[in-house]
Amino acid sequence: MRLTNLLFSRVGKYSKDYSNLPDSYIKRAMEQVYWKNPKGPQYRPNAVVQRKKFHFDTERPWSAQFRQENSPNRHHKKIFVEPIKEWSFFRGDRVEVLVGKDKGKQGIVKQIIQERNWVLVEGLNCELKKLGDDKEFAGVYVQSEKPLLVTSEVSLVDPSDFATTGFEWRFTESGERVRVSTRTGRIIPTPPSAEETIDYKTKSTYKEQPKDTVADDVTEVTFEPRLATFEMDLMDKMGIKEDRVPPKSFWY
Amino acid sequence: MSTFAKIGGITRLLANSSISKVNNTCKLRSLSTTPCRRELMEFFDDEKNWGVQEVKSGRSWKSDELRLKSNTDLHKLWYVLLKERNMLLTMEEECKKETRLFPSPERLDKVEDSMKNLETVVRERNKAYHLLETGEKGERPRKLETNVLGLHYKYKMSEHPIPKHLNTKWKKQYEFYKYDKEVEMFREKLNEKNYLAKKKQHRREFNHVIGLLNRFPNMDMEALKQQYPEVDIEKAKNSRKYGGHFEPK
Repeated sequence: MRLTNLLFSRVGKYSKDYSNLPDSYIKRAMEQVYWKNPKGPQYRPNAVVQRKKFHFDTERPWSAQFRQENSPNRHHKKIFVEPIKEWSFFRGDRVEVLVGKDKGKQGIVKQIIQERNWVLVEGLNCELKKLGDDKEFAGVYVQSEKPLLVTSEVSLVDPSDFATTGFEWRFTESGERVRVSTRTGRIIPTPPSAEETIDYKTKSTYKEQPKDTVADDVTEVTFEPRLATFEMDLMDKMGIKEDRVPPKSFWY
Repeated sequence: MSTFAKIGGITRLLANSSISKVNNTCKLRSLSTTPCRRELMEFFDDEKNWGVQEVKSGRSWKSDELRLKSNTDLHKLWYVLLKERNMLLTMEEECKKETRLFPSPERLDKVEDSMKNLETVVRERNKAYHLLETGEKGERPRKLETNVLGLHYKYKMSEHPIPKHLNTKWKKQYEFYKYDKEVEMFREKLNEKNYLAKKKQHRREFNHVIGLLNRFPNMDMEALKQQYPEVDIEKAKNSRKYGGHFEPK
């Protein structure tokens, strides 16, 4: 169990934020258990897990493509990922590409793959793939972004002069943590699309679904402290009276 | 009446159609909060959601939000969630049976997460009451015990009508550790195995750090230390594996 937790912890926070999926679902979708004993005191916690180490790529861990990439008996070369103290690239950040054919061009971060220190920049560093070609049909070309390393292949852009800059995390006077350009000393604001998910653009513009509880009802305080347990309180409210005295019992 | 109005929002979590039916047909029973009976079909999702690709839903209830709610509200919400979970499990099973796609399976996790949070809040409240009144947590007591193989585990105590020394059935069923030469040998070997596994893990981490140092010479050393706190980085740099296959300048 601890092992699976450890492996699961490798799915970075920023790479799953956009999907807006609960952690337990991601864990459930990722795990490859061939068989497992049911839960209960009569069973040993035995399980046959087909894969414990996952190969992370551009596919998202809960997708079928990821499962296919990590299918049993499929081997991948060991990957060394440079440790980063704190993740500082967010969706919607303007960055400059430092390598490849789009070197020197600026673009917007489209997707974050934290497990590999990667970002996808919209429309830059693309590759063309030919799909569906056969004897009669010439096939179609599909363009897709290739990932870029945040450590060496992209650089943040200072919004005041649109030039690349180094940055560091500092506190503002109001106690807020911000990225500050080391060249100009200007704040590089976190883009509003950083909190965007597949379900909403911003939290305030979330469209309520039929089964959702209304926000006002969620925040309404109905709790009144009383010297009673949950059960005693409920019995009082429902008018259930219990006068029986339990017989003496022993705990061991 | 006021409490009924208050919990209106929570009962909204129920199937939308069932709520609208409450409003239309049950006007006479003003105090009842139970929706109209739809018999077995309450175990199934709304017909609109059959065979669709995706059913959108909000997030789960957080414990901080549940702490604001009264016990009655929590009690009602529990059954709302339970019914929702039953419905989702039925739909999942039915989709499997019909070899169809079960849309948005993360709904199940959201409901289960909410139920888990609700239970922790209820237990918190009960614990607070018992600690105040009796000085004990009031939960099922546990004790650290050693089993016949000499392994430590948390034994969950249970309630019995007769004391321990009279309860021969219990004595037969629960055997704890008594000194045994062979078990001692087994424990020694188990300790050795665990120690070797730990050592192996440590060595693997050490070698991984050397690999990182070789590949990323400009790496942030503090980040490395943070991620691998057990590895001695100076020692890794002195290793013969550190550096390439070239003469130092």
